[in-house]
Amino acid sequence: MTLQPEDFWSYGEWLLRPNAFLRSALLQGVVLTVLAILVGLVLGYLLAAARKGPSEGFYAVARVIREMFVFDLPGTSVRRVYALSRLAFKEAIRRRVLVVAGVFVVILLFAGWYLNPKSDDPAQLYISFVLTATNYLILLLALFISCFSIPADIQNKTLYTIVTKPVRPTEIVLGRIFGFAAVGTCLLVPMGLASYLFVKGGLNHDHAGIQEIEQQADGTYVGKTTYDRHHQHTFTLTADEAGNLEGVTDIAQGHQHSITKAADSETYVIGPPTGALTARVPSYGSLYFLSRTGQRSEQGIDTGQEKGDGGYGSAGLERLIGRTSQANRIEFGYVEGGNLSAGIYTFDDVTPGRYQDGLPLQMNLRAYRAHKGKIDRGLRGTVTLRNPDTGAASNALTFIVDEYEVDELMIPETLAGNDGQRNRDLNLFEDLVNENGQLQLEIRCLDRGQYLGMTQGDVFLKPRENPFAWNFAKAYISIWLQMIMVISFGVMFSTFLNGAVAMLLTLVCVLLGFSAETIYDVRHHIDINKPMGGGPLESMIRIAKQDAMTTELDVDTLTSKIVKGVDTVIVYSMDVVATSLPNLPKMVETAEYAANGFDIFGSLLARHATTTLAYLLLTFFVSYFCLKTREIAA
Amino acid sequence: METNTSAVATEAAPASPVEREVVIETRNLSKIYRDFWGRKKVQALKSLDIEVQKGEIFGLLGPNGSGKSTTIKLILGLLFPTSGRVLVFDKDATETRKNERIGYLPEESYLYKFLTAEETLDFYGRLFDMSGEDRRRRVEELIKLVGLEHARHRQLREYSKGMTRRVGLAQALINDPDLIMLDEPTTGLDPIGTREMKDLILNLRDQGKTVLLCSHQLADVQDVCDRVAILHQGELKELGRVSDLLKVQDVTEVHARGLSEQAKSEIAEVIRRHGGEVESIDNPTATMEDLFLNIVRESEARPGARRLSTAGDDPAASAASAAPSAEPSASDQPASPKRDGDAAE
Ligand SMILES: Nc1ncnc2c1ncn2[C@@H]1O[C@H](COP(=O)(O)OP(=O)(O)OP(=O)(O)O)[C@@H](O)[C@H]1O
Ligand SMILES: [Mg+2]
Repeated sequence: MTLQPEDFWSYGEWLLRPNAFLRSALLQGVVLTVLAILVGLVLGYLLAAARKGPSEGFYAVARVIREMFVFDLPGTSVRRVYALSRLAFKEAIRRRVLVVAGVFVVILLFAGWYLNPKSDDPAQLYISFVLTATNYLILLLALFISCFSIPADIQNKTLYTIVTKPVRPTEIVLGRIFGFAAVGTCLLVPMGLASYLFVKGGLNHDHAGIQEIEQQADGTYVGKTTYDRHHQHTFTLTADEAGNLEGVTDIAQGHQHSITKAADSETYVIGPPTGALTARVPSYGSLYFLSRTGQRSEQGIDTGQEKGDGGYGSAGLERLIGRTSQANRIEFGYVEGGNLSAGIYTFDDVTPGRYQDGLPLQMNLRAYRAHKGKIDRGLRGTVTLRNPDTGAASNALTFIVDEYEVDELMIPETLAGNDGQRNRDLNLFEDLVNENGQLQLEIRCLDRGQYLGMTQGDVFLKPRENPFAWNFAKAYISIWLQMIMVISFGVMFSTFLNGAVAMLLTLVCVLLGFSAETIYDVRHHIDINKPMGGGPLESMIRIAKQDAMTTELDVDTLTSKIVKGVDTVIVYSMDVVATSLPNLPKMVETAEYAANGFDIFGSLLARHATTTLAYLLLTFFVSYFCLKTREIAA
Repeated sequence: METNTSAVATEAAPASPVEREVVIETRNLSKIYRDFWGRKKVQALKSLDIEVQKGEIFGLLGPNGSGKSTTIKLILGLLFPTSGRVLVFDKDATETRKNERIGYLPEESYLYKFLTAEETLDFYGRLFDMSGEDRRRRVEELIKLVGLEHARHRQLREYSKGMTRRVGLAQALINDPDLIMLDEPTTGLDPIGTREMKDLILNLRDQGKTVLLCSHQLADVQDVCDRVAILHQGELKELGRVSDLLKVQDVTEVHARGLSEQAKSEIAEVIRRHGGEVESIDNPTATMEDLFLNIVRESEARPGARRLSTAGDDPAASAASAAPSAEPSASDQPASPKRDGDAAE
């Protein structure tokens, strides 16, 4: 999992973007709202004018708006919303949505067969599996229940008896949304519990015993557990005065066991697996690089494709002032071995209070081999700790890069180093951390001509861990938010379309949200005139002619112009729509946090919650106007 | 249009000089149903002008497809007029707030089939501003009123047509409305239900409520309505008091009991002498309704299979013998206060 710069934003930064207000969520929300209002007014007026004539149409629109503020919003009553929600709930339950829970249980029952037990990280596999399954099932459910309800009520005319009561359109919309949200919640909670038990149970295992054990010269015992569940652990045990043996195994498949043996007993007691289910709370630092000649630079060395692969964000509003998109993601910056280039992380808040027994450092570096080098061993790197003010630095600590796995390094409190004048043992907190609690880590590559890649999120300190259960719950909250999003879109479309069409459109919205990044990329390529397959029409021609993506389109100039023109229109429209839609993939990503054992930080959930609320309000108002101006009996 | 003005004239004649409160007013109301593309499908209503006054039972009559339901839907705001206006309690028909005082029984009972009668009424009750206690009391009363005590906990999907209709009615009355609109209130009801429905409608009127109903059960309309409007192909053809519209000015009716054949011929003689023309002198036949009501009443008193009349028995005779006693109590009585009311005006 690679964190993007935007993942580090605090809630306030995300909302306001201090130095790039044009890209702030607040501004985007406001602009989207204003646009929605304008489009609504114009459309409403055109429809009313077509029906009643230009001046009457104007009054009709004005009346609807007045009624919203004067009667319908203030008149909305909790009691009626509650009654309607209950009805929506009962209706959904009657439509056998609980079957979804059954489907889920069946999926879990069979999943055991298909989840690869030989995986290096079974926890990640299990967690991401259950979260993904839940996510898609719930979104599908939300899609179904939300889109068909109002159209069915109109078709069965049951809505006649409701709108002829003093029920406001606001209440009908809210009643649906809340009712369906309640249904979804009633399903999510047991699904969450079942998933939790499934993950817990699925990862739990015993080792039958000890395969070999041997006393070392220093009195410790070293050995191996038996090979169970496709792995075994090595361990080191120490004896206390009474002769009891005690210790923990090394990490295999992401977990450890405790091993004890009482002095008077022959059997080794191997505890349950621990450490597989974690929620590391990372403390990230800021990153800058030193170039080959030791100059400070914000970017590391580019080894080739990284930037292009990264994709491009929506230029969003900046497009309006003529700025086009740059690469949105900062991908891996590399440091080269054998010269001055380095990646320098600065961490704040490094205090003895937060880090009691040394500094747990975690690194997830990427290795790039420019030549074969020593192929049977990973690339080597060094970490140096440095006081940003005094220049005191520890000696370089060497490590071997474990690719695709998190390297864990426990930095002790006392390290050999140089305090600027002489070599001596340095105390981590007194000598290497400055008065503001800052510490610098310098990461270099040891192998000449090879490269180590890193991003801001790849090297972090781990002051503490949160309970896994809570993190899991947060992933479920994220799914819940997505569900609310889909429900509100479904309900919105169902206020003016029939069920099937409403579902189709909601689905299109979800899919556009999911493919937004691809659309941005295509648009970027069109912007910079880079032949990368082109838009939908061009791609279709290429498929038909079996042309490669990067060649010039093999048609005459006029056709090419037309095709490109049409494509530009399509892609730009898709860009606009995708930019206005909620970014669901960002929300789905929370599952990855949980699966990779990272705490889903509060600001991330708060951001998702804010976005959801904003879209909820937007769809609510659109739904209100559609219902209000719709002839129910027509 | 001529029909219209003449109808207004008919109405104007007996109208009291006392100002009455207008509950529903339609002005030049027209409705054209259009398809998705805005093309005209049907003109369902052509410039309708009616006024319904507080405390009256107003009937909309007309053949199928004449625009009765359309009118009711326009009044409720379920449809928007193509041109013209509808005012209900002096508010525009599209305002939801007027619904606080309105009850509506749709053409067919559009209710949630998965709810029981009690849940249904409770649900609709919650849509109004009433306390939980009031609501429960009201639900209780209405279930009793429409005679569904025995089926209150059954889902509506299991209900027969008439039973659903009764729940529909109860639902329309849940808020003790001042204006009740009934779209074909008697369809699907058995004769007793029909009788009860008619009694209920009269009862509501006596409580000072306004009732607008539409039907093509002419007998029912005649029994209960104070005024009727007759629509045909969306046009108002006739509007006026039922008593006025139906009074045949040049025919006289005499009801008497215990006359001998001798007396009858003498009466005919008298009529002829005065220059009148005797159309018929006959024994009245009872209606099927009377027969049915009689049988049910009897069976409620003495449950069990009824002894069917043998060949020797003349059913008509037994019905006829029952009729005179049944008629004044069952059929005439509810209608008579209406006539009294008319006289009082
Ligand atoms: N939703 C609709 N779309 C199109 N035309 C409609 C619609 N509803 C009614 N109509 C047409 O409008 C006309 C009047 O219909 P309406 O339902 O008002 O008749 P009605 O007098 O209530 O008839 P009935 O006695 O059969 O109930 C009919 O020609 C009907 O076909
Ligand atoms: Mg009808």
